Amino acid sequence: MTAIPLEAFLTVSGLIFGIGMFGLIVRRNLITILMSLELCLNAVNIAFVGADAHLGLVEGQIFALFIIALAAVEAAVGLGIIIAIFRYRKVESSDEVRDMRG
Amino acid sequence: MFKLIVFIIFSAWAVISSLGVVLFSNPVYVILWLLSALISIAGIFFVAGAELVGALQLIIYAVAIAVFYIFVLTAVPWEKALKKDSHYRVEGVIAFPFIILLYIEMFIVFTLGVMASPKKQLKLFIERIGNAEVVGSILFSKYFIAFEIVSLVLLMGMIGAVLIGRKESQTYDGDTS
Repeated sequence: MTAIPLEAFLTVSGLIFGIGMFGLIVRRNLITILMSLELCLNAVNIAFVGADAHLGLVEGQIFALFIIALAAVEAAVGLGIIIAIFRYRKVESSDEVRDMRG
Repeated sequence: MFKLIVFIIFSAWAVISSLGVVLFSNPVYVILWLLSALISIAGIFFVAGAELVGALQLIIYAVAIAVFYIFVLTAVPWEKALKKDSHYRVEGVIAFPFIILLYIEMFIVFTLGVMASPKKQLKLFIERIGNAEVVGSILFSKYFIAFEIVSLVLLMGMIGAVLIGRKESQTYDGDTS
């Protein structure tokens, strides 16, 4: 049973993080922007867990658990903000949200 | 060798699902691709030996957060979004070289970081009593304050989401009573 090299974890993590970052830039719908942000957080989790398996520690898994909990908070608050924007402004596309006072 | 093959299968699945998240235009398909990506990332965690994180990924992400997104998507009428263009095309073309630059920088930093010497101090301990027990014991001893702070952040996020997402206090203009 051979161990998986750390470079493999970091390559997958970097690929998914870059794809999520590209999605943050190019998506127009606000909900899909938040979904791309979830991809970025998951990529960071992969890097933590892979480094953990390489180093033989467990701190990375603990921080991955913290990231999962904070991602839940981020999804709740972000989707609440999107619903509030839609209720006041009747828009859901990110280029129509121009001024801050609703 | 078997582990490496399973890892390659899961990671290819994850990368293809992430491309689907970014490229598809219909938001419902995007949620399905995101669910596929989350499940494959949980598979990567299982292959890496982090059973607790993988199980919590399946429970919290793939069930709770995905269902939450679907609820919000039913609250927002997304049919209007289908009529418009779903991507910023010019901005995508402009941003693409910077994403490549980010990739190059990440590659350099990662290859420098891999050369750091690995410490194997907890390896024997993990092999003796199992991974989830070690994670739990360190989480509730060394990182206990951080754990409590995260629970406080969850409470604050819940209060903030309720405050932001509730209806504005009613105006009694048409109320004749």
